[in-house]
Amino acid sequence: MADKLATLGFRSFLSHQFLKRSVAAVSCRYANTLSNETVEKHRTSTLAHDKEQKEEKKISAPAPPGLKHVHPEFLPNPTFYRRDRIKEKLERQDMYRRRAVCPIPEFYVGSIMAVTLADPYASGKTNRFVGICIQRASYGLRANFTLRNVVDNQGLEIRYDMYSPLIQKVEVLRLEKRLDDELFYLRDAPAEFSTVPFNLEAVSHPPGAPVPVNTTKVKLGPRPWHERWERRNLRGVQDLGLPEKFYEKAKKVAKPWEEYDLMLKYRTSINPQETDEVMDEVAEGFREIERKRRREKLEKS
Amino acid sequence: MLRFGIRNRPRRLSKAMGRKEDGHGTGPPGRLERMTIIVNSLVRHERIEGSHQYMDEARGYTERLLQIAAQGDKNHEAMDVANYWLKDKDLIHKLFKVLVPRYENYTTCATRMWTLPVEYPGGKNKTSILELKGNPWPPVVPNPRNNSKSLINVLLHNAKKDYRSASKDGTPV
Amino acid sequence: MAALMRSRLPSLLPSLPLSQNFSTTNSLQHIIKLTRLRVVDNSMLGNQSVVAGKPPRCIHVYNKTGVGRVGDKVLVAIMGQKKRAFIVGVKQRARPNKPRFDSNNIVLVEDNGAPTGTRIRVPVPSDMRAMEGDVTKILALATKFA
Repeated sequence: MADKLATLGFRSFLSHQFLKRSVAAVSCRYANTLSNETVEKHRTSTLAHDKEQKEEKKISAPAPPGLKHVHPEFLPNPTFYRRDRIKEKLERQDMYRRRAVCPIPEFYVGSIMAVTLADPYASGKTNRFVGICIQRASYGLRANFTLRNVVDNQGLEIRYDMYSPLIQKVEVLRLEKRLDDELFYLRDAPAEFSTVPFNLEAVSHPPGAPVPVNTTKVKLGPRPWHERWERRNLRGVQDLGLPEKFYEKAKKVAKPWEEYDLMLKYRTSINPQETDEVMDEVAEGFREIERKRRREKLEKS
Repeated sequence: MLRFGIRNRPRRLSKAMGRKEDGHGTGPPGRLERMTIIVNSLVRHERIEGSHQYMDEARGYTERLLQIAAQGDKNHEAMDVANYWLKDKDLIHKLFKVLVPRYENYTTCATRMWTLPVEYPGGKNKTSILELKGNPWPPVVPNPRNNSKSLINVLLHNAKKDYRSASKDGTPV
Repeated sequence: MAALMRSRLPSLLPSLPLSQNFSTTNSLQHIIKLTRLRVVDNSMLGNQSVVAGKPPRCIHVYNKTGVGRVGDKVLVAIMGQKKRAFIVGVKQRARPNKPRFDSNNIVLVEDNGAPTGTRIRVPVPSDMRAMEGDVTKILALATKFA
């Protein structure tokens, strides 16, 4: 096992930072809640000193800025009790391997995509679905996205696991962003806002150009809705036209102080330093995929 | 990234959350209000003393404030956060012009915490000192006295030296 | 559990009635008894119910769980009649690679298992083609698979 981990580049990872952090993660909760018996001997000393960690220098080449927004699924789950640093690293290795076989292009919520899926019951053994991406969720190998379309006046949504071996091809027909992180309000909007023709031609995006933001403001249908959208601070919808009491209630349940709760933000997100570490590794992984592809091309020619 | 161990969950600090007469509200916003008061006084006085749990919670907020402020006073986010956390506006200048340059080259955290000794029989609550590193106050732990020149130490040192040189020669001491 | 909540919650939020103290989640969107459904075939009865604005109601689910899934048979009350139907699309959260529909769709069938209509007007889940039994009769009416 140790040899296998070493081949994956775990030696340096395991030796210092990883061990320190994983140990910290286990013992942190009780770090300040020692029992009286345990600390009895320290009572005789005049002063106790807290433990500090020294920051260590980075070794690998830096990733291009903004990579974390392009591939957010490589970031680990920020929920602390879901973290397992070895599992995260192994999952990322699997993700590079899958991407080498089935490339997944850059896409965002709001992009129009087409997914070709293996389907043993279909006539051509494949099933192609086109739709607008309304959500990107989860982390690591379980990362998924949801496409929405309206076919024959029937709203349809399909959630695809990005790294599922059943996926044969992922195309991005229109690379664009929307004003919101999730577009579930399209369920409550008229069909025209989520209708995409299946024969839509792909428009190629020039590499390096900024991704355009689609500033369409959706007009929602009348209530009842799937959610209380007036409480969500949506930017991509028109005025909801609700009576004043709805907004008053929304104000009452809002939590504006959370914006300034620095420790809450710190605990519920991956901190910038760790993000950089992961993204540097991801950039190296992508370079490796590219090298492998070039090698195969050479061998073929 | 914080350079000291933090608890995975925040403390609830029930006292802070239920006392309107103290001038801050109840619940989570009241807790945050209480934290701003502690952070404010820490940035002003650079060394404060108080209940251990309040100091420990405020330590994280102070560290994060300093890390975000390191982006500079031209940064919108940094200025916004500093404006919220420092109620005395003269401290914003101190934060960006004094503290941020001070901790620029630090590889450890910017704060230090000391737990004060418990006197018998002691209570449930510990008292702690929270300080910013590089403060102008005398150190909490005085420098240890240099005893190397005391007579006994000089004699012992020389005896050790003699013993080593003798054992190297092979002659019995 | 309810008793526990009752004893605790009023002390936290004394001004609110008890019904507001419970946190609620989104509906599971299950097809159970008395769920309103949508007829998606072109049968006369289905069209009448759409025109009259009286969507059919599920009055029984023919499985052991009581929750209708894709391919299950249900008994519906439609325009004052009792009819049997197959579920061909559900609103509830779907598994990966399976479609989730915006409505709970059914296709009416006669008591002998023959479909009432001649065409299904909306896409049907692709994995229904793996099913066996009476459902296969209605799959011949489907025009699109999703």
